[in-house]
Amino acid sequence: MSTDQRDDGRAGDVQGPTVPRMLVGIQLHRFREVAGITPDQAAYEIRASRSKISRMENGLVRFKERDVTDLLTLYGVTDEKTRSGLVTLTRQANTPGWWSKYGDIMADWFEAYLGLETAASVIRTFELQFVHGLFQTEDYARAVTMLGHTSAPAQEIDRRVSLRLKRQDLLNGPTPPQVWSVLDEGALRRPVGGPAVMRAQLERLVEMSKLRHVTIQVVPFSRGGHAAAGGSFTVLRFSEPEVPDVVYIEQLTSALYLDKREDVDHYLEVMNHLSTEALTPTQSAKFITEIIRDT
Amino acid sequence: MTDVSSTPGEPDAAAGTGIDTTVPHSARIWNYWLGGKDNYAVDREAGDQFSAIYPGIVDIARADRAFLGRVVRFLAGEAGVRQFLDVGTGLPTADNTHQVAQSVAPESQIVYVDNDPLVLTHARALLTSSPEGSTHYVDANMADPAKVLLEAGKWLDLTQPVGLTFMGVLGHVTNHDEARAIVTGLLDGLASGSYLAINDSVNTSEALEEALRVYEASGAVPYRTRSVEQFAGYFDGLELVEPGVVLVADWRPDPSADRGPEIPQMGGVGRKP
Repeated sequence: MSTDQRDDGRAGDVQGPTVPRMLVGIQLHRFREVAGITPDQAAYEIRASRSKISRMENGLVRFKERDVTDLLTLYGVTDEKTRSGLVTLTRQANTPGWWSKYGDIMADWFEAYLGLETAASVIRTFELQFVHGLFQTEDYARAVTMLGHTSAPAQEIDRRVSLRLKRQDLLNGPTPPQVWSVLDEGALRRPVGGPAVMRAQLERLVEMSKLRHVTIQVVPFSRGGHAAAGGSFTVLRFSEPEVPDVVYIEQLTSALYLDKREDVDHYLEVMNHLSTEALTPTQSAKFITEIIRDT
Repeated sequence: MTDVSSTPGEPDAAAGTGIDTTVPHSARIWNYWLGGKDNYAVDREAGDQFSAIYPGIVDIARADRAFLGRVVRFLAGEAGVRQFLDVGTGLPTADNTHQVAQSVAPESQIVYVDNDPLVLTHARALLTSSPEGSTHYVDANMADPAKVLLEAGKWLDLTQPVGLTFMGVLGHVTNHDEARAIVTGLLDGLASGSYLAINDSVNTSEALEEALRVYEASGAVPYRTRSVEQFAGYFDGLELVEPGVVLVADWRPDPSADRGPEIPQMGGVGRKP
């Protein structure tokens, strides 16, 4: 498909290893299916587990070049151009992202998210409790971090906060993603870090909402019973037509990544209901401004 | 309680979302044919069923977007138009009207008109303007030209020329006389020197007609083609811009682009004297 079919107008620059990983995974999956080989057979070939094959095909792990070429041979892919194309992509997939130096404080499941966030062209989030990490002020980020790591030494808290702020560079880059955030009113009312910190955070939100690539919508309490029965979630979209949307749901000690079409459909539907039920971006900015005025 | 006063064109707070995910939805199917990701299983099934009968529909969807691009570039460029009224916005895709217009003239002002809640939600979030220009969204049915003009007039200076576009949307109006009345009703409210641009399917392909019949039977909002004469009639009383009312592929084609397969899709641009 030609680039003019992209649905976001972003240039085709690849940021970080995540999308190459997904592309390698998608192709390995396709070749395996065409060859009629089971995940177990594939796992046996590279002396790995069945779940490793699944994680490879979902683009969630680093690839050994040797594993990729062995699998291609097993799948009967002999065309030199196809093979070398995939090897090149594998090498890109193994280039570390900017976040790799934070590996000591970061769980693998979150590292995977940062990769996706960095590569996404549209990030849609629904937040029930907190303001999204990409919009947090330093003080608010510190307060949230301390809630989650009560016994961590000050130095570790600093590093966690610095990682969160570093993530926000994404919004200042030359081709920032479109960040479309729907917040429950609760996330605006809960005074994380105290009233002063919260007030500054709300002011930041209003500022952010003026950016062309940022959309903020509020679901007020008055519109009860909204569509997200569960909790906060994020839908990440990528420019590449063949890379599916990924739904990210953070839990206490792990995260869920969904990219099966029926799962994505469901979350996309809920997200669409929420965004449609929420105040419009213009109304939302007014709403937040009035909360600031009232506090 | 925080007061949220209503802004023109913003939805009624008490209304439901109005999104029905149980029947195919034309904007989502269109998005599917264009290779987008904003569609559900019900849309993909309907889209596949359609293209099984008439595979050219995917070419029509692409030709429609390409025509929009060439027309808006012409209007913002050669014709010097700085205000656009885009009726039947659809879900955001590549090269939306404001992106094309503002790439030529960043100060261009665009009003998008649609009455579909899903489309409006996406438009408000994603069809955002360059800092020099503006984009606004009107929640109105095109069948009510007076309301469209009233709302659009809040953002556009209707004493100055406007580029009025209907890209693959007039077929949603089943009765041709009504479609004509919509076009005329809107043009009547625009200044001399305004332009009308339309592309739509014509009834020269039996396979397309059959696919549209099956589509309508699925519960989707029907879409009707017009005869070539009916299509040309939309431009009555206007000065046609070269090359006139033609197959979209022949309307000022991009010399570097492939002409594409033959499709029963016509387009034209006319200037209001």
